[in-house]
Amino acid sequence: MSDVKTYLREWAMPHVLCPGCAHGIVLRSFLESVDQLQLDRDKVAMVAGIGCSSRLIGYVDFCTLHGTHGRAPAFATGLKLARPELNVVVVTGDGDALAIGGNHLIHAARRNIDMTVLMLNNAIYGMTGGQAAPTTPEGAVASTTPRGNTEPNFDACKLLIGAGASHVARVLAVNPLEMTKIMADAMTHPGFSFIEVISDCPEYFGRYNKVGGGAEMLSWMAVRDEGITIPLASKKFVKTLPPSTPLPGMQTGVLHREIRPVYSGVRGGQ
Amino acid sequence: MPEPSRGLLLAGVGGQGVILASMIVADALVRAGYDVKQSEVHGMAQRGGSVFSHIRWGSNVDSPLVPTGSAEVLAAFEWAEAIRWVEYVRDGGAVVADIRTIVPPGSCTDTRSWVTRYPTIDTGLFTGRHLKTRLIDASATAADLGNARAANSVILGSVAAFLDIDDVHWEAAIASLVPQGTVEVNLAAFRAGRTVSDAAIPQAVPDPEGFSGPHQIEIRHDWCKGCDICSRFCPEFCLDVDIDGKLVVVNSDACTGCRLCEILCPDFAITIRPPLEPAVAAGSAEALRSDT
Amino acid sequence: MSAAQLLQGNEACVKGALAAGCSFYGGYPITPSSEIAEQMVRLLPKHGGVFIQMEDEIASLASVIGASLAGSKAMTATSGPGFSLMQEHIGYATMTEVPCVIVNVMRGGPSTGLPTSPSQGDVMQARWGTHGDHPAIVLAPASVGEVFDLTVKAFNLAERFRTPVILLYDEVIGHTRESVVLPESVDVIDRTQPTVEPADFWPKDAAPAGVPPMPAFGDGYRFHVTGLIHDHRGFPTTDGDIAEALITRLHDKIEENLDEVTDVETFMMDDAELAIFAYGIVGRSAHEAVLRAREAGIKAGLVRPLTIWPFPAAEVAAAARQVDTMIVAEMNLGQLIGEVERVAAGETKIVSYLRVDGEPITPTVLLDLCVSGGGGSS
Repeated sequence: MSDVKTYLREWAMPHVLCPGCAHGIVLRSFLESVDQLQLDRDKVAMVAGIGCSSRLIGYVDFCTLHGTHGRAPAFATGLKLARPELNVVVVTGDGDALAIGGNHLIHAARRNIDMTVLMLNNAIYGMTGGQAAPTTPEGAVASTTPRGNTEPNFDACKLLIGAGASHVARVLAVNPLEMTKIMADAMTHPGFSFIEVISDCPEYFGRYNKVGGGAEMLSWMAVRDEGITIPLASKKFVKTLPPSTPLPGMQTGVLHREIRPVYSGVRGGQ
Repeated sequence: MPEPSRGLLLAGVGGQGVILASMIVADALVRAGYDVKQSEVHGMAQRGGSVFSHIRWGSNVDSPLVPTGSAEVLAAFEWAEAIRWVEYVRDGGAVVADIRTIVPPGSCTDTRSWVTRYPTIDTGLFTGRHLKTRLIDASATAADLGNARAANSVILGSVAAFLDIDDVHWEAAIASLVPQGTVEVNLAAFRAGRTVSDAAIPQAVPDPEGFSGPHQIEIRHDWCKGCDICSRFCPEFCLDVDIDGKLVVVNSDACTGCRLCEILCPDFAITIRPPLEPAVAAGSAEALRSDT
Repeated sequence: MSAAQLLQGNEACVKGALAAGCSFYGGYPITPSSEIAEQMVRLLPKHGGVFIQMEDEIASLASVIGASLAGSKAMTATSGPGFSLMQEHIGYATMTEVPCVIVNVMRGGPSTGLPTSPSQGDVMQARWGTHGDHPAIVLAPASVGEVFDLTVKAFNLAERFRTPVILLYDEVIGHTRESVVLPESVDVIDRTQPTVEPADFWPKDAAPAGVPPMPAFGDGYRFHVTGLIHDHRGFPTTDGDIAEALITRLHDKIEENLDEVTDVETFMMDDAELAIFAYGIVGRSAHEAVLRAREAGIKAGLVRPLTIWPFPAAEVAAAARQVDTMIVAEMNLGQLIGEVERVAAGETKIVSYLRVDGEPITPTVLLDLCVSGGGGSS
C-alpha cells in the first residue's frame, strides 16, 4: 500500500462530508486502485453529478468535472469520445444516478462506453437534507417519508445488467480491500463498468432510522453481508448491532461480466 | 469418596491430527479401565487456527474439561500452542512440546514483509513452575523411522512416558485408530517417542524483519472529524475519541500496523508508519494470549 | 472564391461549423433542426471529428461540454422543446466557461407548438432561459449564407470568450435552399492556452474582465471544473466577494469587448425617416419592404441586428434618434421590442408588427406599414 494522500488536493482538504460518512472510505479505495494500476494521473478524468458523493472529486488531483444533477454519464460520454485515452470515472450517488440521471446512466450502459461508474448508494438524499431516494428501502424513514417509505426501491445492479452494462459489481464501503480490487478490475475492463457501493448516511438515514452513526452503520453492513468474509468488525462491536437491516439479500461481488463491442461514437474509418 | 479425576491436554493447530491423537489417548485410557471424558474444540482448522482437546480420566469423571492448573500433561503439537496452554498444567506437571513452528496469519504485522509476532523458542518460560519438559522434534524422529507423518505417535510416546498406562493399551489403541498400512510405523514412532531425548533448541537468530515494536499512528487533527470509526474498528483498542470529539491514541504500544484505521478513515486523517526502532525483542506469552 | 452551391440553411450551418474547426457533435433529433445532425454524421468523421446521437437534449449539451473540456470544438443543434431542456447546461457552460455552440432552429411554441412552422418565440429564452444572472451571446442569421458566416462567428466567439454561443434562426431559414458562394477559408479563433507550468496553473486565474486560458483534460494540467461559485483555483466557495467578482467578470469579459461581438446591419439608413427593426427571416422581408418603400418615395431604412444578444443598444438608440418612426416586426408577441423600447423610449414613435400564426412576415405587410406610417399596425 502506498500513501494515497499524494493523490489528494491537500489544499482543499478536509472535505465537506459529515463525520462518519463512508464516502471518504470509498474515495480512498478508489485511489488505491488507481495506484495499483499505476495510471498516469494526467489521464484520469473524474466526472460527477450533484450530491454528497459527487463532491468527492473536488479533492483528488486529477482532471475533475463536477457537472449537473444526474448528467455525469453524459458529460463523461463527450469527454471519452473526444479524448479516448482518458480513463473516465464517474462518481455519482443513488439519487443522482437513478432518479434524475437514470436515463443517462442506462444509455451510457447500453452503448457500452468505456467508462467506470461508481454509484455510492446511501439510500437517501444527503445533501438536501435526508429526503427519500429511489433506493430508500420500503418502510425506511426519510424527511419526505416521515411514516416510512411506501415506494418500492430500485435494485441498481439488476437495472444496469438489463441496460447492457458489461461489468456490474456491488461492494460494501466497509470492505475497502475488496472495493479496491473490484474498482481496479472495473477500470481495466473494456466497456461500461458499474459499481454500486453500499455506503452510508449516518447524519440522515442513520439518525432517522435509529441505526446509529458511521461506525455502527459500517459494522452492521459487515455482519449483514454473509457472502464476504472479512475480519473487520471487532467483537465488542458486533454485539451492538441492530437486529434488522434494510439491505436483505443483496449480493455483493462482481455480478455480471461480458465482453462486447465498446462504442466510441461515429468517427473516421466507420 | 472416589479419587479426583486426572487431566491431560492436547493442543495443536488445524491439520496436525490433534483430534486423532486425542482419540488414541482416550481409547488407551478406556482400555486401561478408566472412566474417560474427552472434549475438543476445533472449527478454525482450515485457517490454521488453534485445535485443542481436553481428556479427563479416573474412576468416575463428571466434567470433560480440565481446570486451569490441573493437567498432568500438556502435549503441544506446535511451539506457540505450548505457550498458549501451559497455564493449564499443574505445578510439577509435564509439558511435551514439539518445536515445530506454524506461524498463524493473525500474527502478521506487516503484510508486505510478512513480519510476525510469533514467539521465539525459550525454555525459560517453564522453569519457574518446576515443570517437567520434553521438547522434541517429532517430525525429525518420525522421518528417521521412514514416515514424517507418524510424528504424532512420537509425541504420544513421550506423553506415555509421563503416565502410568501400560504400553499394551497404547499400542492397541494406536493399531485400531491409525490408517491401515501405517500401523507399524506409528508403533515404531510411539516406542521411539518414549525414549526420545530433547531436541537441540534452535538458537534464536535475530530477524531483521521480525516484529520490531509498535507502529506509529499519525493523526491529522485538522482533517479528523472525530467520527469514531477508527477507534471502534481497531482490533487492538489503540484509539479513542475523547470527550471533545478529538481522536487520541490511548494504547500506542499495541499497534500492529494492520492499517484498518487508516483504510477505514473517511477523512484520510490517519497514517500508520512502520516502527522507528529496528527489531529487538520477540513477543511474549502474555502478548500472544491477549491476541486470542 | 469557390463556386456557388445550392445549400439548405441547416447544411450551411454544418459547413460553417466544419470550417470553424468543429470536431464534436452531440445531438438529439428534433424538427426542424434534424438535417444538421444528418449532415454532421456524414461529414464530421471525414474531418476527424466524432458524432454521437444522445438520449435527449440535456445529454446532448452535456456531451458537448465534456468534449469541449477535452479540447474539441463542439456543438449541438435543436429546436424549442429541446432548447428548453438545454437551458440547464447553457447555464453550466456559462459558469464553467466552456466554449460551445448551440443552434436553435426556432419553431412555434409554447411546448411542442407548431413543429414545422417558423417562429421567433425563443428570443427571450435564448437570453434568459437559464437561471441566474448570466451573459448571453445570440446570433441571428437571415439567410443561408449568413448561417454559414455566423456559425463560424459563433465558434470564434465561443473560443474567444469561453462561453456558450447560441445561433438562433427559424424553420424557414433552416429549410430554405439558396445558391451561396462559401469562402475558401475563414478566420478561426482558438481558445488561449496557459503559458505557465502545470504546477503553477490555476484554472480561473483571470484579470477582472479577462478570459482565463483553457487547457484540455489530458494535457497535463489537472484542474477542477464546477458549476458552483468558485475561486481562481476552480474550487467551490460561498465567499460573497468572490461570487460577485466571478459573476461580474463573466459579464464584463463580453460587455467590455462588444466591438468583437456586436454586429448590426443598417440599410438605407443615411437619410431614413422611418426605420424597420427586424432580425432573422423577418429582416429579409424588411429589406425588400425598404426597397419597395423607397420606390414609393418613402425614406425608409433597415436596422437589422445580426447579434441580438447582447442587445445592440447604442446602434438602435442612434437609429431611433434619427427616425420619426421605428417599426419593430417580430414573429412573436413582442420579445425584442421590449429592448427597443428600453433604449429608444422618447426618441421615436415605436410601432410593432407581431405575428404568431406560424406564417412568415411578408414584405407586403411591412410595406403597408411604411406607407401608413405605422398607423395600421396590428
